[in-house]
Amino acid sequence: MSARLFTPVRAQLVARAVLWSMMSLALGILALVLWFVLRRGLAHIDWAFVSTAPLDSGRGGGIFPILVGTLEVTLLGVATAAPLGIGTAIYLAEYTKEGRLTRAIRFGSECLAGVPSIIIGLFGFVLFVTTLRLGWSILAGALTLALMTLPLVIRTSEEALKSVPTAYREVALSLGASKWQTMLGVVLPAALPGIFTGLILGLGRAIGETAALIFTAGSSLPHQLPRSLLDGTRTLSIHFYQLAREGISADHAYATAAVLVLAISFINLSSSFAMHRFMRRYG
Amino acid sequence: MTTEPKLDIVSLNIRYGEKAALRNLSLSIPSGSIYAVIGPSGSGKTSLLRSITLLSVELDQARLSGKILLDGRDVLAAGVDRATLRRKVGLVMATPQPLPGSIHHNLTFGPRLAGQTQRQELDALVEAALRSADLWAEVKERLNGPASALSGGQQQRLCIARAIALSPEVILLDEPCSGLDPISTAKIEEMMRALQTRFTWVIVTNNTKQAARVSDRTAFVLSGELIEDGPTSRIFTTPTDPRTTGYVEGRFG
Repeated sequence: MSARLFTPVRAQLVARAVLWSMMSLALGILALVLWFVLRRGLAHIDWAFVSTAPLDSGRGGGIFPILVGTLEVTLLGVATAAPLGIGTAIYLAEYTKEGRLTRAIRFGSECLAGVPSIIIGLFGFVLFVTTLRLGWSILAGALTLALMTLPLVIRTSEEALKSVPTAYREVALSLGASKWQTMLGVVLPAALPGIFTGLILGLGRAIGETAALIFTAGSSLPHQLPRSLLDGTRTLSIHFYQLAREGISADHAYATAAVLVLAISFINLSSSFAMHRFMRRYG
Repeated sequence: MTTEPKLDIVSLNIRYGEKAALRNLSLSIPSGSIYAVIGPSGSGKTSLLRSITLLSVELDQARLSGKILLDGRDVLAAGVDRATLRRKVGLVMATPQPLPGSIHHNLTFGPRLAGQTQRQELDALVEAALRSADLWAEVKERLNGPASALSGGQQQRLCIARAIALSPEVILLDEPCSGLDPISTAKIEEMMRALQTRFTWVIVTNNTKQAARVSDRTAFVLSGELIEDGPTSRIFTTPTDPRTTGYVEGRFG
């Protein structure tokens, strides 16, 4: 009887149903989060909110300096992590043989990935804010974010480089390219979509980071646009945290959260669009 | 036959760690001829080709001993510039391997690295190479289209054209037709014959009939050792070694 119950066809049906439910649950949770944030936040977003400075601790006004500061910290952070991470990945994937050294580097990078962001923040505070005297600043925050996103960039770039067919390398070398020319002219362009995806993931993670930035970029409310990288800033997620925790304004807290969610969605969508275009042209 | 051979391989040994891929192999490849190397798979033919351009040393951790003389100069000697060597000796792989990017990009990749940057010169080079490989008529309308969109046979001719674009002296073909249909195969064989005087061809093949059709001389390699070599007509009609007889008659391999 039980043998009959699970015929291959039925097992297939059950598997499909179970997998589909898992997928819809995962997607449903995402949709729920989005709905929850956007429903409460969207109503309070208007042009004035995103284009003016905050007033009265954030009860009034908008978030313009915060938005700009967030973008500066995040972009600068990822832009710093990118060359370091890609360089490390090229070294690991192309310029060393598998051995104790590469395993040690990889292990170290995994460990760095596992360090809680508040600890990274503390480290950033000690190194950048006090020792290097950068103060609570965009620069200190960006460098801290770079440390945080570095493992991800290394990992994804290395995978991307390794997935480039060996034959490309053989062909390029056979056509008289040096190792570095092969790297630059063939391997790196072929790996670029994968590397780019890693950078975007890093960006998505960095833009929402809170704990690592409280100690490094600062949390005092900016009333005007940052004039230099040594100015402090408050990022969107810290602003949200302050508004919500201190009970300053739930409406503005959710509006800030909604802007953050929209910004992340925009980055993801536009970058995947850009990548598709790139892939089609590069083919 | 008193002229010096284009490629003279003297007591070549190829080892990968403990494993020997080729033992004490000596071959003389005359200039302007088509030289076939036949033998069952795993007999070291591909290792031989990859070693002539030192690709096996660079990528497969192969250790070579003996001599590979190109115009009398030893490729294995210290101080040989690999890029220069590879521009002189082209290598075409068994499966067509276009680089990502356009047909034009595939053909100009090598010449550009060699220092050719003039757009017009490059264009002329592209046309000449494609004409040599008998591909011009088929692709002249879509030089900027992706090379990956070509058929397998066209891709392989593109790879040969890519090698030709560097004006090499020797072209090594590693089972260039193993994945191709008879018509594509015939095109490549015709092309080799048409270009026989311009280049020295070395073709490694599993297909004994192909060796009999195109080559001037043939070498039979078995388990890393040269069994015999000589004019193709003799190897296929009156071989001296019974193993060669067995192989060319299709009794094993």
